[in-house]
Amino acid sequence: MDPAASRPAVVIDNGTGYTKMGFAGNVEPCFIVPSVVAVNESFLNQSRTSSKANWLAQHSAGVMADLDFFIGDEALAKSRSSSTYNLTHPIRQGQVENWDAMERFWQQCIFNYLRCDPEDHYFLLTESPLTAPESREYTGEIMFETFNVPGLYIAVNSVLALAAGYTTSKLSSKRALAGLELRYYWFKILNFVCFAFALRNDDNDLDFLCEMTGVVVDVGDGATHVVPVADGYVIGSSIKSIPIAGKDVTLFVQQLMRERGENVPPEDSFEVARKVKETYCYTSSDIVKEFNKHDKEPSKYIKQWRGIKPKTGAPYSCDIGYERFLGPEVFFNPEIYSTEYTTPLPAVIDKCIQSAPIDTRRALYKNIVLSGGSTMFRDFHRRLQRDLKKIVDARVVASEARLGGEIRSQPVEVNVVSHPIQRFAVWFGGSVLASTPEFFAACHTKAEYEEYGASICRTNPVFKGMY
Amino acid sequence: MILLQSHSRFLLQTLLNRVQNLDKGVELDYHWIEFDDVRFHIQVSVKNPHHVLLSVSLPTPPPETAFVGGLPLGALEAIKIAYSGFVQVLDPPRDGFNLTLKLNLSKLPPDEGSTSFFSKFDLSLWNGLMVVYAEYKHAILIKIASVREVVLGAPLRLILKGLGSRMSASNIDRLVALVHRSKESFFLLPQAEKVTVVFPMRFKDSVDIVLATSFLQEFVEARRAAGLNNAPLCLWSPTPPLELKGAPAESLSANAGFITIVIFPRHVEGKKLDRTVWSLSTFHAYVSYHVKCSEGFMHTRMRRRVESLIQALDRAKPGSEDSKKAGGNNASFRRLSLKEGRASWK
Repeated sequence: MDPAASRPAVVIDNGTGYTKMGFAGNVEPCFIVPSVVAVNESFLNQSRTSSKANWLAQHSAGVMADLDFFIGDEALAKSRSSSTYNLTHPIRQGQVENWDAMERFWQQCIFNYLRCDPEDHYFLLTESPLTAPESREYTGEIMFETFNVPGLYIAVNSVLALAAGYTTSKLSSKRALAGLELRYYWFKILNFVCFAFALRNDDNDLDFLCEMTGVVVDVGDGATHVVPVADGYVIGSSIKSIPIAGKDVTLFVQQLMRERGENVPPEDSFEVARKVKETYCYTSSDIVKEFNKHDKEPSKYIKQWRGIKPKTGAPYSCDIGYERFLGPEVFFNPEIYSTEYTTPLPAVIDKCIQSAPIDTRRALYKNIVLSGGSTMFRDFHRRLQRDLKKIVDARVVASEARLGGEIRSQPVEVNVVSHPIQRFAVWFGGSVLASTPEFFAACHTKAEYEEYGASICRTNPVFKGMY
Repeated sequence: MILLQSHSRFLLQTLLNRVQNLDKGVELDYHWIEFDDVRFHIQVSVKNPHHVLLSVSLPTPPPETAFVGGLPLGALEAIKIAYSGFVQVLDPPRDGFNLTLKLNLSKLPPDEGSTSFFSKFDLSLWNGLMVVYAEYKHAILIKIASVREVVLGAPLRLILKGLGSRMSASNIDRLVALVHRSKESFFLLPQAEKVTVVFPMRFKDSVDIVLATSFLQEFVEARRAAGLNNAPLCLWSPTPPLELKGAPAESLSANAGFITIVIFPRHVEGKKLDRTVWSLSTFHAYVSYHVKCSEGFMHTRMRRRVESLIQALDRAKPGSEDSKKAGGNNASFRRLSLKEGRASWK
């Protein structure tokens, strides 16, 4: 047997905002770091001279600078403290944009953070459902050529999220997640996951089949996708994506604070807005009521933010008011943020389900799973469920009225599943998947890569369904 | 990052996290693997949040290395010296591991004790003490996180220490094999004034072999440069050097050659000892990391080159200006009307 298969696989979920990485078989990722790279490009700007000694010096400076970069929180700190480092975001809107930065990012993930030898482990990476086959090939090329991995599996993140939603919806409390109870479900999940990823063996429970149908609402930092999955296969033609994601919430919060004239240093305002979003924002049930609540009892609702100006070191403080509930509101009333895009998220989900094959729709409404950091606002799932229910009920009433009230249709069950690990649901699903023995068989191996080339990564089995 | 750090990043992060919320009951159960097949397992239970169980499994030792009870020579003593007071070695270790440590985090110096002992005047003194304490504690945690260095580097440290204090140990001029990676070892030849370290370098991939060979040769080359006069002497040869006369035959095959590093007493003085031990015991991982890096950077440069060539080609295309102007009208197919379609059939 391949010795690498006896070691846990490395699971890396590269998101636009944060990257989640760790080893398969664990319940939490080892590290969650911002997906940024700070590169020292100062040697590029040096004046070129023709003398040979200088050229040599420049060359070696360039070589040294190749190793002179940081990722994650260190990168943010470096770029703030010195001007020689430039921040690059390798991923934009769920797609890898800068492959050089991405390769460096992976290199640091593997060698500096996880500290593992990539030749010893199988790798599981994730991609968004709309990733182009070329980009998958590129990923394969980097992984096999640069890092020499023995095997690679590129999973679709929504399918992983659905699997995670299934597992965690069975758990009652948040506490349980931390340990043992989750282990108890592990075996159930294993079976389920094998099925879900078309690694199926024959003795699978049919019970799992219906569980593997659902809509994944994946709201990350850079991209929002609504992905219907039927029996473990992605319904590719019905995927909807909207141009509003976590970053837009941050920008909106920033804009609100700036317009109110809060005393935030401009170079820090985006970071402050992000922190405000992560700590204080929540979803309201009704904006008007929420405004009234805030106006009546400002002391209860208005929070304070304290910080230190990065340049002068002077402390400052500012108020956080309406943006607490207005931030997440951009998903439900996008017109308050953008003039071009005005379809609210519940309507998009409804449209997505309506475009799916008719026999799957009820099942899809029944299992709407949230994933991604930007679904973590308090009561997000309640609001989503309520708004979606409203749309569906209105349609049912309308159709009944059209039919003259003779035929009563069965009520449609709408259920938005929320669970405590939405932030790294994709990673968790990946961790479960990669700990199955079937996983190693489903991977693209180094031998296959050498035989056929990067084209082995082009297709993904979850798209090969019947639709 | 040029050198690998000696502490495990994840272990340090977990320990810091634990120490900061010491009384919060958390269930923690985590497995991970580092390079050269060193496995870790950490466990904390809700009932007993002050105790951390840390298990380490080492790479499979080759037959020529000396292992006592599943641990390298002198490892237990090294653990006792490094972590006296708050670490207990459990015997037997957890199933599948070589070593299980029980850390008692409550025995670490407290973060916020009662300040009531100190009057207001002494508060500044107290704060100063706190800072020292915090630093001390952080140092301890880093030390725990570098458990790998302590355990795997123990025999190497013993020998180098002997060199540092210039004690003529009994095993002088006898070849010592130490575990390096799974089923691979490196060799030490302790002498009165120096210790010669020989690494047989092996790589799996053919590209890696080539890169590693040239990397190692460059290593030797760089040693000759001015400014590195005090660095250890360094030699590379494709065939086993003379020092390996007594070594078993199977360890004498190395596809990337043999690198010999000569350590003098000046390299193991004081604090340098820790760094030398760490660098030597993870030499293979270090080379492998840099081989991977250089492959990455070659790809970066190749990508840049391809882009610039494509740009040159684009510029050379005749009439590229016109096609830009045409824009969307230049569709790849034209929809035929019914009539035209019929006409083309005739």
